[in-house]
Amino acid sequence: MSLYFKYFKVHLKCELEYKMSFIMSFISQFFVFFGYYFTIICLFDKFSNIKGFSLYEVLLTFGIIQFGVSFCETFFRGIDTFDELIVEGSFDRLLLRPRNILLQVFCDKLSVIRISRVLQAIIVLIIALINIDVNWNIEKVMTLIFMILSSIFIFLGMFILAASYCFYTIKGLEIRNVLTDGSKNMAQYPIGIFKKGFVMFFTFIIPFGFVNYYPLLYLIGRETNKIFIFSPLITIIYLIPSILIFYLGMKRYTSAGS
Amino acid sequence: MKSYLSYFKLKFINGLQYRAQAIAGIITQFFFGFVYISIYVAFYESGSADLPMELSELISYIWLSQSLFSLIYLWYKDKEIINMIKNGNIAYELLRPQDLYLMWCHKILGDRLSKVVLRFSPIIIVALILPKPYNLNLTSNLLINGIFIVAMILSSILMTMLVVLYHVLCLFTLDEKGIINIFMVTADILSGMTIPIPFFPKFMQNISNILPFRYISDFPFRFYVGNISINEGIISILIQIIWIIILFVIGKLLMNKALKKAVIQGG
Repeated sequence: MSLYFKYFKVHLKCELEYKMSFIMSFISQFFVFFGYYFTIICLFDKFSNIKGFSLYEVLLTFGIIQFGVSFCETFFRGIDTFDELIVEGSFDRLLLRPRNILLQVFCDKLSVIRISRVLQAIIVLIIALINIDVNWNIEKVMTLIFMILSSIFIFLGMFILAASYCFYTIKGLEIRNVLTDGSKNMAQYPIGIFKKGFVMFFTFIIPFGFVNYYPLLYLIGRETNKIFIFSPLITIIYLIPSILIFYLGMKRYTSAGS
Repeated sequence: MKSYLSYFKLKFINGLQYRAQAIAGIITQFFFGFVYISIYVAFYESGSADLPMELSELISYIWLSQSLFSLIYLWYKDKEIINMIKNGNIAYELLRPQDLYLMWCHKILGDRLSKVVLRFSPIIIVALILPKPYNLNLTSNLLINGIFIVAMILSSILMTMLVVLYHVLCLFTLDEKGIINIFMVTADILSGMTIPIPFFPKFMQNISNILPFRYISDFPFRFYVGNISINEGIISILIQIIWIIILFVIGKLLMNKALKKAVIQGG
């Protein structure tokens, strides 16, 4: 852990060297992802609800997903751009060091600038939470914390899975972006609004439903079964095989560069 | 003139080589089209009193914008040109007896056209055979088709002018991120790529109406699906032409100014 923070400090210093550029990029990152929320606000301006979900409920599901993805892209950037490591052959260098390999991959690249997106997601979450119609109690707060954590788990799992794929193909696969970005875009909404097939997909194949839909139902009181509090934890089950597959893939890794 | 055309051809033929990339692009566009449509269908099923577009119009709009996406999206950086600006190789370009501005225009348009040629028809064909209400509705009205084609040609020129303008601005900032990104994302939203203009709040609609961006994608597509009348369409085409001239002049002047005090980075 302390090793990670050391890396983090180095990367931060490195980016702060160019102060003006850092500030500009910080602001522009903030702007770029504003587009997502803009769509939502526009649509709720015209429609009062989406299948019974209000604006703030949708903003909550949105914020949870955006928080998870931007958190992983900021702090685990290395795994997201893993194919570069493999193509350059610098993965070999990491293998030589007597430290946990996944940790080293995480640290390899950190994009401190993207913190602005994490901030943005937090702001949206706060706005949603202030306005949402929920009777807060200990159980509901727990649900919310689980939701936020599970959002990080699921994206971390997805990134690791995609990275292990590089062991077999060397080059990262563009199709994976389609699958992850596309499904992420959909899962930003409460998935119950979509047709049956999608609900099944997001429950059993990519379990986004457990991140922000099933617990949301409990939060807003549509479901009262206590099981829903712990539903986000199912994403851990998704994370473990991802890590195993990564190590399995590493066994058959042959270097690509010099 | 001939030399510029050969830049265009060079980029065009070069772009056609990337077929695997095109397949990935087609799948992406198709998938995203489906995602957007699912979201809109859910909204429309929830019902609302006064909606600016019919669902079928909106779905056709989405398919048109997805199939022509690689031609009209405004979030575009030409790596080659950016690299040239950053590493100073632009000096070699300046030695050529050609106008740099026109050269960039031809290069960018050639690249963009090659991409859309590969991606356009598969998406349209699949969108046509999808079951209702997810399908694309074509119109048989010859006049609308004719005006649409003219509008699309003009909008691709307008797109080129804007994209070249970003790159000219890069000559000043020497950085393709930061302010350029903000500019690009604003243009992207105001062009109606993320959501059609009629869904904007009123004041944003007014803003987008006086800016050139909506004439790139929002206008031609909404015209085609019948959301804009023929009279308004013809007026909009004239506005497109005016914007092309304005942006051309601005870009050219800025370029001249930038080159006058250009400092070559590196040797």
